[in-house]
Amino acid sequence: MQKVGKRNTRSLTWIISIVLVLSVVLSACGNKEEGQANGSNGNADYPLEVSIMTITPSAVPAADDNVIKRAIEKATNSKMNIQWVSNNIYGDKLNLTLASGDIPDLIMINDPFGSTFTKMVKQGAFWDVTPYIKDYPNLSNGIPDIAWETTKAADGNNYGIPRPRPVTGDSFFIIRKDWLDKLNLQVPETTDELFEVMKAFVEQDPDGNGAKDTTALAAYISPDDLGWGGNLGPVLGAIESSFIGTNSSWKWDESQGKLIYRELLPEVRESLQYLTKAYSSGMMPEDLLSLKLTQARELFKRNQAGIIVDKTGTMRKIYADDLKKVDPSFKYTDFYPLTNLNGYNPKGAGYNGILAIPASVPEEKMKRILKLLDTWMNPEVFEIQQFGIEGTHYEVVDGKKVTNTEKLTADNASDFNHIVNVIDLPWDTTGETDEETQANELFKKVEAERDKTSVADLSAGLQSETGQKVLSELNKKIQDLKAKIILGREPIEAWDTFVESLRNDPNVQAMSDEMTEAYKKRNGQ
Amino acid sequence: MNTVKGKQTSARSKWLNLLSALRRDQSLYLLALPGILFFLVFKYIPMWGIIIAFQDYSPFRGIQGSEWVGLQHFTELFANPDFALLFRNTLAISLLNLILFFPFPILISLGLNELRSVAYKRLIQTIIYMPHFLSWVIIAGLTLLLFAKGTGLINELFTLWGWPRVDILTNPDSFWVMVTLQAMWKEAGWGTIVFLAAMASVDTQLYEAARMDGAGRLRQIWHITLPAIRSVIIVLLILRLGDIMEVGFEQIFLMYNGAVSEVAEVFDTYVYRTGIEQGDFSYSTAVGLFKSVIGLVLVVVANRVVKRMGQEGVY
Repeated sequence: MQKVGKRNTRSLTWIISIVLVLSVVLSACGNKEEGQANGSNGNADYPLEVSIMTITPSAVPAADDNVIKRAIEKATNSKMNIQWVSNNIYGDKLNLTLASGDIPDLIMINDPFGSTFTKMVKQGAFWDVTPYIKDYPNLSNGIPDIAWETTKAADGNNYGIPRPRPVTGDSFFIIRKDWLDKLNLQVPETTDELFEVMKAFVEQDPDGNGAKDTTALAAYISPDDLGWGGNLGPVLGAIESSFIGTNSSWKWDESQGKLIYRELLPEVRESLQYLTKAYSSGMMPEDLLSLKLTQARELFKRNQAGIIVDKTGTMRKIYADDLKKVDPSFKYTDFYPLTNLNGYNPKGAGYNGILAIPASVPEEKMKRILKLLDTWMNPEVFEIQQFGIEGTHYEVVDGKKVTNTEKLTADNASDFNHIVNVIDLPWDTTGETDEETQANELFKKVEAERDKTSVADLSAGLQSETGQKVLSELNKKIQDLKAKIILGREPIEAWDTFVESLRNDPNVQAMSDEMTEAYKKRNGQ
Repeated sequence: MNTVKGKQTSARSKWLNLLSALRRDQSLYLLALPGILFFLVFKYIPMWGIIIAFQDYSPFRGIQGSEWVGLQHFTELFANPDFALLFRNTLAISLLNLILFFPFPILISLGLNELRSVAYKRLIQTIIYMPHFLSWVIIAGLTLLLFAKGTGLINELFTLWGWPRVDILTNPDSFWVMVTLQAMWKEAGWGTIVFLAAMASVDTQLYEAARMDGAGRLRQIWHITLPAIRSVIIVLLILRLGDIMEVGFEQIFLMYNGAVSEVAEVFDTYVYRTGIEQGDFSYSTAVGLFKSVIGLVLVVVANRVVKRMGQEGVY
């Protein structure tokens, strides 16, 4: 070290400094790639370059060179840059993306009535697609009217293309039929009968292991579920909704001629008393508040709970195959969906999120994006994500496509449903085994039965400005208080006091008036 | 005239002095340059975003196009009935941290410093550092596994021994103490590093001399070790005061549930809910800014007090 002269040290210092300065500067502006490539090609026959952000339920999303993606791109003459976001964090990620102002060309808005999106729509940040839809037959005919109707913004226009979902098959109670049979019980049809079933599930050892270690409802209460089903989460919310007869946050009162806020209804009090009794009798997990969705599902999968609230389509993927490992005698048909409870079952809103196009996208390109979605909905294109590619994912045997489910899942085929989904396909009940086919036939039958009595959310798509401001805090307060009452920390009288204060709250009154007005306006009164 | 000229020359000579100082230590300044640039680019320039606290920020209009609303968000915050609650919870958790958590690593370090066997000391150190590297998600999961009222291991054991089950996770009375103990379990070991380093630099002759004079172990700790690490303790305490409004978002967020909401809602979780979940960006920025200002004031005041007491502060 001594030998190095002063000059050398100095030039060494220079070099080090320059390298460090450069590294700081370069890392600061590292995030500016592309941006140029987009928008350069409005029409022409070049493949449409489009950036997309949507949800994925898969732990590992489809890669950029995914075979199915490549095939869809080829069929639609596009080049997609898809940002897959896990469904656990989609709401947060969406808000951050909207706040950044750097919005993808096609973005999935999971709640078209969320405050950030609604505000931006008012400022003109997204394309009003209403006038263009009629030019695209698949968009106008392939997506049911109810979906277009319920996703309309306050001004009556559509600021996005709804992702259609069947109105049948909304989440509802699913019960262990084998447990019912073992205990000689009927499928419950009222909340009182359900209570008896739950009691038996707790006390009469339905899993037959000689220990009193089962509970009834795989329930939980989490802040993630604020804003719907009485803020109680899917399971307990479904019970409350069965008491009321709707999952809506509003109920029409004919005598007063106005919409009544759900929490003010006497049925909510009744259901709270019911749930308090159920909790103290061990019919739901003791750690109701500490559990999250996945842990509650675990209870059902581990043979420790007999009732869940979910869609029947989740049977194999989420529950049944895991449960079979613990209880080999469990059959797919034991995953038994209830038709009605107190004569009620919920009707879906017909959509799950919308696809919006930011106003910064030029009109020509916006049209091409609509065209892309339209083409994608053509049967021959949609089949790519349904069946995959011949030879790789399916073989044609006797004119029928026989798919390799494992290979399709491995290639994330169903993830593309989170961009485009076609729903009016006839339901093919054929499963991989006879057992699965029987289960599918059962589900199909139950859904047809449900369809006769299902109740839609009458306030879907209605908006109140006051509600936008006060609801998030209010929802949280409601959830906290209900949770405390169910746990026995607060008496039911605390609820009465709260309801009384709600009744006198000017914000709640304003919200009711605005909702009533919007409701009447939509019904042409 | 003369005075003006005098001022000019003194100003000029100041410049010249500065220049010559710059030239003299040019290598040092050059080496500092990347650091300065780093802070400018990554810390100071982004800080401009704070101005949205005084706007009705709309992402679509951007900072230039958004409407100015002055102090509206701050008045809204102070008028919010939940403000007192947020303030109380944040302060309570922070003070508990200060009283229970802060001295704990010092006690551990004193104990470790007295160990004779170096190998044993190293082993203990490694073990107690470990929890620092676990994420809060894992620790929250472990807490649930151990303390859940229904299926938690501890409660299963209690039942086995015929004791009543305890409710820790959904009990508003014990929430503050629980999160403090949790933080101690995770970070106390890591916190010993600085103190142990300070203790290692104490001249061993001091101990020898004290022993000659007949001082026992406790005397040595009291008269030699503690005074030696006093300045480190003070610096850390001042920095800790600056964080008094921060209580660790992840931890509180993960341990939060409906039953403990009135003791668990703190500024950090409130900012998350209003900002990220509800998209009320300006308001949540205002809350965050308020929090930071309190922290800054506390650091400055504490530093003054310490200096007046004749100790060395952080700056």
